[in-house]
Amino acid sequence: MSGRETVLVAMSGGVDSSVAAALLVEKGYRVIGATMKTFCYSETPANGRTCCGLDGIMDARRVADHLGIAHYVFDMEESFGRAVMDDFVAEYVAGRTPNPCVRCNSNTKIPDLLRRGRALGADRIATGHYARIRQVTGETAVLLRGVDDRKDQSYFLWGVPPEVLDHLVFPVGDLTKDEVRDRARALGLSTAEKPESQEICFVPTDDYTDFLSTRLGADHPALSPGRMVTAEGEHVGEHGGYARYTVGQRKGLGGGFGRRLYVLGVRPDRNEVVVGDPAGLARGEVTLGDLNWLAPSPAPGERLHVRLRHRAALVPAEVVERGGSELRLRFDSPQTAVTPGQSGAIYRGEALVGGGRIR
Amino acid sequence: MTEAMLYLDHAADTPVRPEVIVAMTRLQEAGVGNASSVHGPGRAARGALEEARERVAGVLGAAPREIVFTSGGTEADNMAVLGRWRASRRGVVVSAVEHSAVRGPAAAAAREGAPLTILAVDESGRVDLGALDEALREEPGVVSVMWGNNETGTLQPVAEIGRRCAAAGAAFHTDAVQAVGHVPVRVDEARCSLLSLSAHKFGGPPGAGALFLRDGTEIEPLLSGGGQERGLRAGTSNVVAAAGLATALDLAVGQLETEAARLGTLRDRLQARLQAELPDLRVHGADADRLPHILNVGLDGVPADVLIASLDVAGLAVSSGAACHSGGGEPSHVLMAMGRFSDAVARFSLGWSTTEEDVDRGAALFLDVLDRARAAIA
Repeated sequence: MSGRETVLVAMSGGVDSSVAAALLVEKGYRVIGATMKTFCYSETPANGRTCCGLDGIMDARRVADHLGIAHYVFDMEESFGRAVMDDFVAEYVAGRTPNPCVRCNSNTKIPDLLRRGRALGADRIATGHYARIRQVTGETAVLLRGVDDRKDQSYFLWGVPPEVLDHLVFPVGDLTKDEVRDRARALGLSTAEKPESQEICFVPTDDYTDFLSTRLGADHPALSPGRMVTAEGEHVGEHGGYARYTVGQRKGLGGGFGRRLYVLGVRPDRNEVVVGDPAGLARGEVTLGDLNWLAPSPAPGERLHVRLRHRAALVPAEVVERGGSELRLRFDSPQTAVTPGQSGAIYRGEALVGGGRIR
Repeated sequence: MTEAMLYLDHAADTPVRPEVIVAMTRLQEAGVGNASSVHGPGRAARGALEEARERVAGVLGAAPREIVFTSGGTEADNMAVLGRWRASRRGVVVSAVEHSAVRGPAAAAAREGAPLTILAVDESGRVDLGALDEALREEPGVVSVMWGNNETGTLQPVAEIGRRCAAAGAAFHTDAVQAVGHVPVRVDEARCSLLSLSAHKFGGPPGAGALFLRDGTEIEPLLSGGGQERGLRAGTSNVVAAAGLATALDLAVGQLETEAARLGTLRDRLQARLQAELPDLRVHGADADRLPHILNVGLDGVPADVLIASLDVAGLAVSSGAACHSGGGEPSHVLMAMGRFSDAVARFSLGWSTTEEDVDRGAALFLDVLDRARAAIA
């Protein structure tokens, strides 16, 4: 019809991606909406509205109709199940704390969306992430943090394949969450007042151990009682399965210790949870594996920032060692949130350089 | 997008014929009364309704009193299957490739305690007559096998099925929703006791259908209320819709011979074009006699959801399986029953407004889309 550029926008049914789609329409793109079916729909009874996905599909479709754009549902159950859910279970069994949203963006959502976009004749894809892309003609695009510091979601994007950057659009990355809601209201979008989505989309009960127990069986070693010990080997109590614990956790340890205890580590091979004083959590360094780079990779001696949790402060650090598959960083001051399996996202100024999984 | 859409999805819904629009508009504008009323306007409405009934009966080779107007094919199928079960309290037999409008009431009957038998089909989708004979030994209350399949176009040996059912004393119902207007459909030829049809598949309005119910065949009505349709289907008669249905049916059947030949030629042309470019194309039902307007193909190397979306974006309206399930990732029960598996399936269906140019453009668009989708997904 026209020479307008076509953009495929991922619409979860939430307010952010709804506004993202609306902004693209305003800008004159030919916009196609898509909702990704990622899990559980086939196992959920037709009338079961508990599953976030089904509601999401209907909300997204309503917004797409309102905007006058096409909307499709893409079935990603297989790749999501493999790359995200299986990994989630395997990481907990290995005594680590996975980050499924990172896995989803890196392995499923972004690359699959681009492939499908190209099948549809769209060379660009968009999502409702609070992040920005800076594109300078002739240069590879750079991924920047979103302008809303409290909402910045670039942390979840360190693992996306670098070649997708030139094709990515984040329409709400220049806005704050309040501005996004205002736009949604002004546009009359039905999703304007929708609450924030829960942390892990495939854990509707908000208790991931329910999911582990369904997948592994309740009597799996990772969920079976074992010893709670101090770093010195003192047996101080029992735990209900090491996969229920994550480094830095204080809740759920039970009382009667006479002092505040924190989870310092997990030993899956011995089904032990190591506890101790908060001082035992402090780490001066972090080693990242499964590295991915979205910009020239950092060299030893370079000073940059690393984020160890979503919404946690940026931590100044220096690159100590750069191997082929691992990167070692030294923090300027010791950190307590160094949790194996979680992500370390690395920033050079506003730009997301890449990252890795915490070893 | 939609403005330039090429529509090859007539088995989902075919445009209402202009003559039908004229006939319905005239009747509506003249003012129709309630066909149950005794006064003048009521008599006029009743006259129009009974005229429509006579025309439908004439086309099917039935008596007017054997025609019950319904809200569409789904209602007619429900009346036939569920209504027969409730009246007979004997088993329900359906083929594995029935439309959900038959599968649904069959499942509902089973939930009410009906013994339910599902007849297997061969690779082309034709029902296994040996399995039918076996099922007939249980003296079922109703056997429901469609005339022509909505996904693949496969024609069932309805005359043979009707003969066997008659010999066994079982009521034979055939869902002829896709067949009527495309192949000759006569109730005596099929020896059926019940037959469903739907107006919007042959150029009539949506929301209008009919059930042929042979004299002496008992069903339990699904709707109770006023005594309309001889007590079989309560609710104020939709006279305008019935008139639209009858007008469309007359037109479709009047042109049937030439139109069936024309669509069959176009369908074969489309099939040949696709086969020439796609050596791995699977044509479903190709070994059976098929409805002339349906072409169902299977392909690998592209997921169904991607193909559906890509075709829509490219402006080609076709279906993946029955239109009623489109958008979902559920595999087609029809193709599963036939033992035919593909990553993606597309159903092209042609209609009275389809031209040779449409078919050529459709083939070219489809090939383009498929090329790009396969390259992107690989």
